[in-house]
Amino acid sequence: MISSATFHVISTELVVGAFSVSGLCFTLCLLVHFGLLKRTEWMDLFDNVAHFALVFGLAATPFAVLSGVSSSPGDGLSSPLLVNKMFLSMSGAGFAIGASLSRWRLGRRLWNSATATRIHCATGLAACGSMLLTASAGGTFARGESLLDVFRLPYEQVLLFPFAISVIGLILGITMVAMGLKRLNRASSIH
Amino acid sequence: MLLLCSSFGSAEPGGNGDSIRDMQCGGACHGDASLNGTSTALMSLSSSEKIYAGIPTTITLSVSNIQSSETGLIGLFLLTDTTGHSDTPQDAGWEILSDSNGGSMNYIERTIPSGMNETSVSWVVRSSNMGTTLFYGSIHHGGESTPFFGINPEGLAVDVEAVPENLPRLSSDYIPPTVRTLGAETELNIQTQFTESVQIEWQVPGGTLVSVPVNSTGTDMWTATLPAALQPTTVQWRAVLQGEGPTQTTPWFTLASEEPGWEVEEFAVYTQSFALLFLIAGAVIALQSRLNTSFPENKYEQSQIVLPEQPVDEDGQIISASNSDESIAPLPEGGLPEGWNEDQWRWYGHEYLAGKYGGGE
Repeated sequence: MISSATFHVISTELVVGAFSVSGLCFTLCLLVHFGLLKRTEWMDLFDNVAHFALVFGLAATPFAVLSGVSSSPGDGLSSPLLVNKMFLSMSGAGFAIGASLSRWRLGRRLWNSATATRIHCATGLAACGSMLLTASAGGTFARGESLLDVFRLPYEQVLLFPFAISVIGLILGITMVAMGLKRLNRASSIH
Repeated sequence: MLLLCSSFGSAEPGGNGDSIRDMQCGGACHGDASLNGTSTALMSLSSSEKIYAGIPTTITLSVSNIQSSETGLIGLFLLTDTTGHSDTPQDAGWEILSDSNGGSMNYIERTIPSGMNETSVSWVVRSSNMGTTLFYGSIHHGGESTPFFGINPEGLAVDVEAVPENLPRLSSDYIPPTVRTLGAETELNIQTQFTESVQIEWQVPGGTLVSVPVNSTGTDMWTATLPAALQPTTVQWRAVLQGEGPTQTTPWFTLASEEPGWEVEEFAVYTQSFALLFLIAGAVIALQSRLNTSFPENKYEQSQIVLPEQPVDEDGQIISASNSDESIAPLPEGGLPEGWNEDQWRWYGHEYLAGKYGGGE
């Protein structure tokens, strides 16, 4: 058996590595889209790698979150940094789920629309950015320093909504996901 | 480039924090002979003359001639071996009850004020086994872009003897508190053996000695209250134990005051976390489903295989054989038969000419 702290290190390395590769490929997709990278034949490669890495990182995320909670010192969320880590990782997972489901249901046609392409790449990059911020907060918590400390991010400040607002947000979010998926499924069934 | 950066970036000038660590600090540069430099610091360990099994005693490490980095941060170790592994007092069967920083660690960090080059730290330790143990002090610090390492190679031999039967003493399983909350009084509950009366004294390090009243709460059970600390600091306290045997004074135990722990309603945090997840995912999916008005690909889509390529007109309409001019039957001399329109003739003209509808040739 390994300790939850060691398991957390393993799972976070998988998550951060996968999301970083995904973010890099989304950036390259964006460069191809804007014509800054002329090799349009590489678009399929970037597309596949970005989404495979995104889904892989997404699969490892729950293990990282759960092991992080169990390995944190004291009882549960004993620091604002840990709360912000939780918010950032779940936001990153939300972006990743949105990007993955959109790509899965819409297929390659997603790249046909310029606006959809830009939004999709931005979503993938947001997922990557959220996970890197989470890792940075973890570094600040464990070692007292992180590469992103130069930005003086307010990790000690927690934006915690009233419980009722969170519940409403949760219900609204689930409804939006269900309706969005229904709309995507309906489009494919008519076809 | 990354390899070059690693040699500059792997240092931890902010320290690692007090902890239980071996001499090489888990593979740190300070313990690597190919990377480190030898510290100029001079170290000496000292302890009480008589040390009994099961009774706490103090081991003090005095360090002088320190030439540290600009931050003045140094890390000091109490060790029982110099091999670099399994060398903590715990590995030799000793308990650390208290350290100078208000914890119970064998590695503690200290910042040396500018202009000073010496310091002293102490640990309160206890062993339940008799015999001789060799203790060592060690130092890690930075300076001149080099990780420095030092150790007192001669060590300090500590002999643990059997405790006299009637010696007043703290209970062998008593663990003193090391941390308390800022602004709250601290109630000390002390268990003793062979003790008839207890006196508790406390002081801010270097300050005035203050006695507090002690109440008996049972046989060899005592309680005393230390006043609240108004700012994060450390106080030291000790007990003077009187009984049939010689009066005993415990080591100074260090008690650190900390800000109250940060608290949050965890269920609210988890609810908000999942709300963020679903809201963001839902927003992305809703946006993409609106933007992509064209139907997505379907895995059952096989029309490109089934349907051959067909010519299309200017409007993109497929020109089939049935509606091209060549396939439409030529009109009779009198024009369209009575009661027929152009569309009917387009589709059924050939059959009319064949006499199926009463006309034709």
